[in-house]
Amino acid sequence: MQRRLPQIIAFVFGVVMFLQYFSTHPVARGINAAVLVDFWQIIFAFALIVGVITFVKTTTTGINRAADWPYRLISLAGVIVMPAFAIIWGIKAESPFMWVFENIQVPLQSTVFALLAFFVASASYRGFRARSIPAAVLLGAAFITVLSRSSLEAWYPAALDSFAEWVRDYPSMAARRAILIGIGLGSLTTSLRVILGIERTWLGKEAK
Amino acid sequence: MKLEGRHWIFLGLFAAVFIAMALNLGLDVAVSGDTQGMYEFIDTLSPGSTIIVSFDHEASALPEIRPLALAVLRHAFSRNVRVIGTALLAEGTGVGYRLMQQTAREFGKDYGSDWVYLGFKPQYIAAILSMGESFSRTYPEDYLGQVYSDLPLLNDINTYDDIAGVVSVADGSLTTHWIEYAGSRYNVKIAGAVTAAMITTYDPYLASGQMDAMVGGLRGAAEYEKLIKTGGGGERGMLAQTVSHLYVLALIVVGNLAYFLTRRKPKEGRG
Amino acid sequence: MDWGTIIAGLLTLAILTFLYRDNPVYRVAESLLIGVAIGYFLVITWTNTLMDLLFIPLFTDGRLLLILPFVFGLLMFGRFHPATKSLSRLSMAVLIGSGAGVAIPVMLEARTIKQMSATVMPLLASSGMPNWSAIVVMIGVLTTLSYFYFSREHKGTLGHSARIGVYFLMIFFGTTFGYTVMSRMSTFIGRMEFLLTDFLRLTN
Repeated sequence: MQRRLPQIIAFVFGVVMFLQYFSTHPVARGINAAVLVDFWQIIFAFALIVGVITFVKTTTTGINRAADWPYRLISLAGVIVMPAFAIIWGIKAESPFMWVFENIQVPLQSTVFALLAFFVASASYRGFRARSIPAAVLLGAAFITVLSRSSLEAWYPAALDSFAEWVRDYPSMAARRAILIGIGLGSLTTSLRVILGIERTWLGKEAK
Repeated sequence: MKLEGRHWIFLGLFAAVFIAMALNLGLDVAVSGDTQGMYEFIDTLSPGSTIIVSFDHEASALPEIRPLALAVLRHAFSRNVRVIGTALLAEGTGVGYRLMQQTAREFGKDYGSDWVYLGFKPQYIAAILSMGESFSRTYPEDYLGQVYSDLPLLNDINTYDDIAGVVSVADGSLTTHWIEYAGSRYNVKIAGAVTAAMITTYDPYLASGQMDAMVGGLRGAAEYEKLIKTGGGGERGMLAQTVSHLYVLALIVVGNLAYFLTRRKPKEGRG
Repeated sequence: MDWGTIIAGLLTLAILTFLYRDNPVYRVAESLLIGVAIGYFLVITWTNTLMDLLFIPLFTDGRLLLILPFVFGLLMFGRFHPATKSLSRLSMAVLIGSGAGVAIPVMLEARTIKQMSATVMPLLASSGMPNWSAIVVMIGVLTTLSYFYFSREHKGTLGHSARIGVYFLMIFFGTTFGYTVMSRMSTFIGRMEFLLTDFLRLTN
């Protein structure tokens, strides 16, 4: 029963949401809106809260014995301070909550991402080798792409720009399209398997 | 302080970009077909029509997303297009409101009648699909806590049938969901203002017509700024971007030369 | 210069110290980011979803039917105790089942049929000459798809086709890498602009 009831629920919701796609009847539209807004959004929000609680639990467990306890404390301070600011002063544009977001979170997060530029440069020198013909093709495509988007149109023939654009619009796009079609077919079959109860990995391992 | 090989590469990149930014020279950019398409997507909207601009990005992409978003919003407001802002990622919420507020102020647009910010809803697929049923049910209140029905702009907006299109400002695959769920199910026109890394991801949708327009990256922002005749972060970053690209290309060439030369030497030694 | 810019500048430099090596300054900044980001996310989820869609309609407007999703949401907390862990599967079932249900028509129509139909373009132009671009796209899609067909060994015709597909994939990866380089550089340039213009005031 521990696994059967969730499978039945998944089947019912799956079939209902699949069938409503083809109906414009007001009852179908009402059910669709109810499931999407009332069930899906609300349950997902609780799932996010569970994630936050799990993070707090993991961070606080053994904090007094952990070598990285100052860092854990700083993380916990952030988790506590942000809701505190929101409760006391609200979350609108000029509030302390948004001040922390704009002057602490945004700079930190975008700078962490900016580090990737350096690692890309390093990888370009140390790892990007034309060791084989396919690797040389990859390298060549990357080379003409970067060159053609470098605002140096006056320095090389216009044909290179056109060629780079053609490569992106046709052979590159074709490969990406094939990947998309493959993912689409795979997602389709996995969704069917989930609804029909063939795919049960989402239920976890414990209850057999 | 001991510097290793990779540190010199890092310093080289830092120096190249620093010098380019210190020179502060403008670079003329040729407008690409994609950017022209995005420009026409907004330019052909009739004054008074309404679009959704959805901030579907993380804070990490802001340096690249910001010039794009500002250019699109400026163009829309200059055409007297009404804009509804939403966010399908939590971090886009605060950023989106600030950007809309900034550009609305530039054009003297009033909140509630010319623009509205609805805020964030998690579970983006549910949010996109439920907006197709009812905007007001998905967003009973706006980001500022005002009731949906109290906002004049939203009086005649309740489903995708009432809007001219969606511009998804994204650094990931959320635009795909707009295309596949809103575009496919509800026939909404979808355009993307995306980071450069995502351009090739959306090429098949652009080619098949499922996506109406796309502008990408800092270069795309510079091209768009040229079309709407304003300056901005895109234009300012072009020299630095060009120099950084040349630096990476030089590293690729030098790295491969070093590889092929050192690969040959052991063979010569054995012979 | 306001305090916000000073703090943002110092934190930016703290993250950049990682380029030399991992160090306590970087780790403090990283831990701060994690905590603040999770706190931000929690607040936004609470105010934009749970208050707007659940608590206000349920307790203020009297929409009693919302008790059902509320209960399913609360069942998610069952994960925290071994005895109640299985209850959270009921809530997961709603999410997984609905997601699978809406995905089927979308994946079929938007991702498969529409992409396949866009691939089938006239292989001859109106002038009677071959439309080489359309031919390249057709070959590219078919050979790349054949590369991802693992139910048979890649030998014979399938093997040749898969090998051609590999070259198309390499072109795609190379093009994507090129655009990714641009994207990462743009992010770095944006941070440099902040540092040089707003924080250090070295440029205009």
